Formats: sequence, structure tokens, C-alpha cells
Amino acid sequence: MNGNMADNLLPNGVILNEFLEAIFARDSSRLKYAQNGLIAAMGEQALVDAAATIAAFNAYPRMADSTGIPLESGKEEITQELRAELRLDRLQHI
Amino acid sequence: MTYVFGSNFLSVRADLRSALDLAYKHIGETGDWLTGAQRVSVYAEMRQAWDCQLCRDLKAELSPYNIRGKHDTLGELPEAWVDVIHRVTTDPGRLSERWFQEALTGGMEEDEIIEVINVCVQAIAIDVFTSGIGLSLPSLPAIGTGEPVRRRPSEAKTGPGWAATIAPEDVGDDFADFYDGDRHFYIRRSLTLVPGECRRLWHLLNSLYIEDPRITELEGVERGISRAQMEFLAARASALLGCYY
Repeated sequence: MNGNMADNLLPNGVILNEFLEAIFARDSSRLKYAQNGLIAAMGEQALVDAAATIAAFNAYPRMADSTGIPLESGKEEITQELRAELRLDRLQHI
Repeated sequence: MTYVFGSNFLSVRADLRSALDLAYKHIGETGDWLTGAQRVSVYAEMRQAWDCQLCRDLKAELSPYNIRGKHDTLGELPEAWVDVIHRVTTDPGRLSERWFQEALTGGMEEDEIIEVINVCVQAIAIDVFTSGIGLSLPSLPAIGTGEPVRRRPSEAKTGPGWAATIAPEDVGDDFADFYDGDRHFYIRRSLTLVPGECRRLWHLLNSLYIEDPRITELEGVERGISRAQMEFLAARASALLGCYY
């Protein structure tokens, strides 16, 4: 999830990541180039649903972080090892 | 004002187009706690946040409390509202209970905060989608008339985060279906203090993403990308926003 796409095995992962990063960068030239690349590789409906997913996940994180909701206990259990590896539990709200 | 979520050159699936249209128009209408004019001002201030120098300076700091200043604002909303909108927009990963409490001591009602957040995230989602598919951003929605009811649901109580929410075990008959199918996730509960607006928000989100993400793969849900590709984008977007929920 750090953006290093060198070992990415997801079909069209590099193209999708570039599209996402262009949106986040708010760079219209970069976005135009990424849109064209995505359509060329995956088609127009892929562009629509990639944009829709990114839009949704511009909402969900803000909803979570602006209201301080914690992880549910079930998710906490199944992600314990991952969170330890990433040392996420060291993060404290300032 | 009308806006078409699609073009002659790019077809947007009907359910998504409808959900976007509904969300966009409703932003201009009277909410549960905010007037249509206030809601549109929230949308406008969200866009303004991207050009705010204070927000840029705060983002560069190790802590958003290292510097104090004034936001570059359109001047239509109170200062506390502006701070909520700008921080949610530009630096959501470092929001804190302290920030939430400051919004309250700054003069906002808790319910107003929740509706402002609701409008903000819908506006952001609409703008991200439209720019993502290569359309120009819509102009601000038409402003409707009317006064909000401003009635807090009696069953709301603080938790699981900083804000009051309606817990699944406390829902009244008029909101019981919101948690149908054991959809008790905290994210679904997060903005339920303002239940009417919360329903509308989730109508949009379900069309943008998936109504029930517990399904395996897509199970008949029509999308132009695979489930794995969707989850990749979801995880990357969340990581870039600094969200670990």
C-alpha cells in the first residue's frame, strides 16, 4: 500500500495506481494522461468504476476519521498481526 | 441548476447516475439541521479548502497544532464550520477528539458537525468522480427554501467514537431497516446522529462502491473492474488519506 508497484501482480495495477495518484495529486495534465491510458487498457466502464471506487474511498475514510470510530473487535482480532507488523498501534491521536 | 453525470462519449451506469444526481440536487435542499443555503456554502467552502494556505501550511507540519492561523475562507460560514470543512477536506488523517471538541466549543452543535461532515464527504465524492471521468466540475446546486427541523433523535448516545450515534440495538421503527442484514459496522453507524441525511449519504455510497462488501467477488454486481481491483483502489485511497480503520 506504499505505492511501490514494482512487484504488483494485480492486472492493470500500475495503470490503476497511476490514475488514483493523479486524482490525489489534483494534477489535471497527469490525470488526462492517466484517463487515456486506463481507457486504452481497460475500457470506458473501467474508468467509470475506478473513479467511482476512488470517490467512495474519499468519503469513507473521512467519515471514519472525523468521528473517531474505532476498529470493531472482530476486525481488531483478525488484523492483530498486520497491525503489529506495520506498528500502527503506536499511532496516537494528537 | 442541472448537471449531467455522464456525456455523449462516456456512459455511466443508470443507478450511479441517478444516485449522483439525487445527492447533488439534495445538497441544495433543506437538510435535517442545515438550510439549503448553508449546505451549498459547505460545498463551496470544501472546494475553497484546496486553495487554503493555512491548510497547506498545516499539512506540512508534523502536528496540525504546531501553528495557528486563519483559513482562507469564502466568508459565508462561521469560523468553526470553516475549520471542520477545511480539516476534513485536506487533512482527515490527523483529525482528533481535540479537534472535534474544539468545533463544539467554537459554537457548533454536534448535530451540525455531523451534517457538515455528511455534506462535505458527498461533495468531495461527487467532485472526485466527475473529475475522475474527465468532466468539468458541476456548478453549485440550486438552493431550495425551507427551514430544517433540527430535532435530535432521542435514542442517540455517544459512541463508539467521539460523536453520538444511533446504535443498532437502540433504533426506532423508522430507522430499523438501516441496519438490516447485520450491517452493524461502525462506519455505517458513524453519521447516524442525523439519520435522514445519513440514509441519503449511504444511497450514494452504495452506488459508488458496493451495497454489501461482504459478498464474495462481485456476485452479480455489474462493475467495469474486478473486485480485486476495487479493493486495491480502496486500500490505496485509504492509505493516502492516512486512514487505518
